[in-house]
Amino acid sequence: MLNFVVRRMLWAIPTLVAVSFISFIIIQLPPGDYVTAMVAEMRNQGEYVTAAQEAIMREEFGLNDPMLVQYWRWISKIILHGDFGHSFHWKAPVSDLIWGRLGLTLTLSMLSLVFTWIIAIPVGVYSATRQYSMFDYLFTVFGFLGKGIPDFLLALVLMWIGFAWMHIDVGGLFSPQFEGRPWSLAKVWNLMTHIWIPLVVLATGGAAGLIRVMRANMLDELGKPYVETAYAQGLSERQVVWGYPVRVALNPFISTVGWALPALFSGDIVTAVVLNLPTTGPLLLQALKMQDMYLAGSFILILSVFTVVGTLLSDLLLAWSDPRIRYS
Amino acid sequence: MKKTLLAALALGLMATTSAYAFQEAPMLAELVEKGELPPVDERLPDNPTVVEAIEVGEYGGTWQRAFKGPGDRWGPTKLMEERVLKFAAGPDGEVKLVPSYIESYSVNDDFTEFTFTLLEGLKWSDGEPVTTEDVSFWYNDIFLNEALTPTFETTLAPGGNPLTVEVKDERTFTVKFEQPYVYFLEILAQDSTVGPSLDRPSFIQPAHYLKKYNDHYASEEELAALSKEHGVEKWTDLWGSKGPIAAWWQNEELPVITAWKIQGGVTGNTVTMVRNPYYFAVDQEGNQLPYIDKIEHRLFEAQDAFNLMIVQGQIDMQMRYVTSNDFTFYMENAEKSGYTVSNWKSANVWSLVPNLNVTDDVLRGLFENADVRKALSIAVDRELLNELAFSGLGEPRSTSPVSGSPYYSEELEAHWTDYDPEAANALLDSAGLGERDGDGYRLRPDGKRLQLVVETDQDAYANLLELLADNYRDVGIELLPRVIDRTQWDDNRENNNFEVQLIPFDRLTVIPADPRRMMGENNFAAQYYIWHETGGKSGMEPPADHPIRKVWASWGKASVAKTREEADAATNEMIAEFVKNGWVIGLVGEVATPVIVKNNFRNLPEGLVEDNITRGVGLARPQQMWIKQ
Repeated sequence: MLNFVVRRMLWAIPTLVAVSFISFIIIQLPPGDYVTAMVAEMRNQGEYVTAAQEAIMREEFGLNDPMLVQYWRWISKIILHGDFGHSFHWKAPVSDLIWGRLGLTLTLSMLSLVFTWIIAIPVGVYSATRQYSMFDYLFTVFGFLGKGIPDFLLALVLMWIGFAWMHIDVGGLFSPQFEGRPWSLAKVWNLMTHIWIPLVVLATGGAAGLIRVMRANMLDELGKPYVETAYAQGLSERQVVWGYPVRVALNPFISTVGWALPALFSGDIVTAVVLNLPTTGPLLLQALKMQDMYLAGSFILILSVFTVVGTLLSDLLLAWSDPRIRYS
Repeated sequence: MKKTLLAALALGLMATTSAYAFQEAPMLAELVEKGELPPVDERLPDNPTVVEAIEVGEYGGTWQRAFKGPGDRWGPTKLMEERVLKFAAGPDGEVKLVPSYIESYSVNDDFTEFTFTLLEGLKWSDGEPVTTEDVSFWYNDIFLNEALTPTFETTLAPGGNPLTVEVKDERTFTVKFEQPYVYFLEILAQDSTVGPSLDRPSFIQPAHYLKKYNDHYASEEELAALSKEHGVEKWTDLWGSKGPIAAWWQNEELPVITAWKIQGGVTGNTVTMVRNPYYFAVDQEGNQLPYIDKIEHRLFEAQDAFNLMIVQGQIDMQMRYVTSNDFTFYMENAEKSGYTVSNWKSANVWSLVPNLNVTDDVLRGLFENADVRKALSIAVDRELLNELAFSGLGEPRSTSPVSGSPYYSEELEAHWTDYDPEAANALLDSAGLGERDGDGYRLRPDGKRLQLVVETDQDAYANLLELLADNYRDVGIELLPRVIDRTQWDDNRENNNFEVQLIPFDRLTVIPADPRRMMGENNFAAQYYIWHETGGKSGMEPPADHPIRKVWASWGKASVAKTREEADAATNEMIAEFVKNGWVIGLVGEVATPVIVKNNFRNLPEGLVEDNITRGVGLARPQQMWIKQ
């Protein structure tokens, strides 16, 4: 087991290097670079930048160097000093920008993951055991609706409902008077009054899909001989269903736990932008739009680390939960 | 004879200063009592600048706004910029120059020497005095320091010769040019003297604070250590647009003279500005300004998020990013959330810009043909555009100075704007475009269908292009709208890779403060302009008889004129030449700019013109605004 874990971790390193390299190149593929974007913005605001000044800026930012040199400058600092470099756009260390938002992102994402499971598993089990019942149809309809409605649209509708009918403060995670203040009980409560919209949006989107997965898996399992044997032994329906087929049907949930992590980190960008959440997603989007390559690169690198770690995690969980998995 | 234009600085106050007790904000009075701050009379200049408040206000409160990230730093800046002179709106709305942190200024007869006298007792936000030492520091150690200013702004070096500065005494200095420079004061009111960046004052920089970061004072080792401490590679990275030291919006320790100063920099989700206890201006009753304690900007990404902040009553006053598209939405919720929608007028004109330098020879020939340009212009039903795309809040017009501008002309405003598809058809027929294909579209001389690809980066205005496509179909031209990404859009223009762009043509008030748009910069003749600016080193040379040369020549005349009248005459010539050629096709302009104003927010004048040149909302002098508690 230990051997398996160590081997998997060693494999992760070249994967990360490759991913970081590719992502760094991809960021630079669109036309122009950060200086183009910045100068255009400055000109629009009435600042005058001559071509000579533009060239100097490009030199200052090191954008004239070959891509490999730029990549090395960035990655070597990360490896040697844990320094993710400077964001051009924010003129601040990348780490100052990212870690601050990460806490909220993780809180939000973990909650929505839990929420998703709380909805999806019981509903999926119910739908499978009561196939073609009225509630099965009802859940199916809701499931497809949930899957079909884009998250950002649902977010807008919920915000509108919250604003127009419930008369509560919507958008963002805090009211203006709490934004940027130290944590307090009142601030936590304020967070609670705001967090339900993103939670509902993120959870319904995810749950809709998972309900279908759960239902299908359960139907596969319910017809198998071991289930009939269990019934024949005189066990109650509840004991049979939750004791055996559910555990097997959960397998795909566990094997995708790893993907949940990066999804959480990128935090469904569009939804976050619409809801004005102070999470990492909007920052990543902006970094990509401005070609703020060290910030964007760092994001993608961290995202990749999360994917790799997450996959490792779900492999381990799977190995633990399913005796059929072998370590070699 | 020396012509002295003594500023009309609240003369009544000056004589009585010593007898006059200034008032201050309660939060500052508290600090004075605790002994943490000197009394207000010692913090203010002897004769502080008087900013006539519309209504004398009360101290206190936090002004809630929203901003769009570090790229939007001009949003916060325009609330508090200080220059030696600033544009201000008179009671009848006309724009004039008023002195800011100077006591007086004078200009010699041929506009080559400009003398400024700083306020007696003017202080930086840390309490240190502002003197001509700060001017010398700006001039010798920043402006003439090649490491920090590798090239001079053209505005500060007319004809290629940079200005020189001569210090007379502790408060007085003279700025000299080798040639007459009639519009220098207007340029100063718009632009800062440290570029590229608009968030700095004119001529002064806090020497006592910045010396230790400057290579004329600090040794190489010291600079290296400082760079390391601030996490940058070279000491020059501490300055300028990259500078965590010299930019007020990053460094809360940088001494400033503005009404508010940044607190905590720009990395979080809110950007906060707090009052500067040493701000140099008072209202007409001797109350030190600003009235408002604090300004908070919340970060937003999407327009919907911002609009929700507005209708939830979370914005106290804001003009930036409030769009006329969403006017109805704002109005519907105004009463419920306790705000009103006030109206300013935008100095932009939404315009189509055909590329005179387009690489397609046939198209270029057509764009160079005045008849074709006229046809393109009169084929547009501007009334319809105004009604459907701007909720009727604008007015059909050409791309020419807006009303209220000293260069406004009724005749130019109406140039080629009457909707007349028949005449347009006739013009196109006679321009050799009479042949049509099976779908009724005209054929170009080379037999291809006459198509115009029109690009915009603003998806909100895609509907404008659809309406235009209908108009152009009526005269046999196929308009292909393209909504593209901003970077791509800019890149296309940089690389001369576009046919027509849709832009909000701006800076149409005080034209001489920034005439570059009319000279082709960044729009209808970008390559010609580059050729002109680089003295022929790059870009494209226009034909010898090309009318754009007349535009340049007129500006050339204006920029060396010895009198105001002569200069204005030449400027008017330039404007007329630009407008009459119809290179840029103005559609709808002077669109109402909605302003969200909370019911308890006071002293925002109504109906002013919003322009970058007059610094947006800065024209309304935000330091005299207040919030009724």
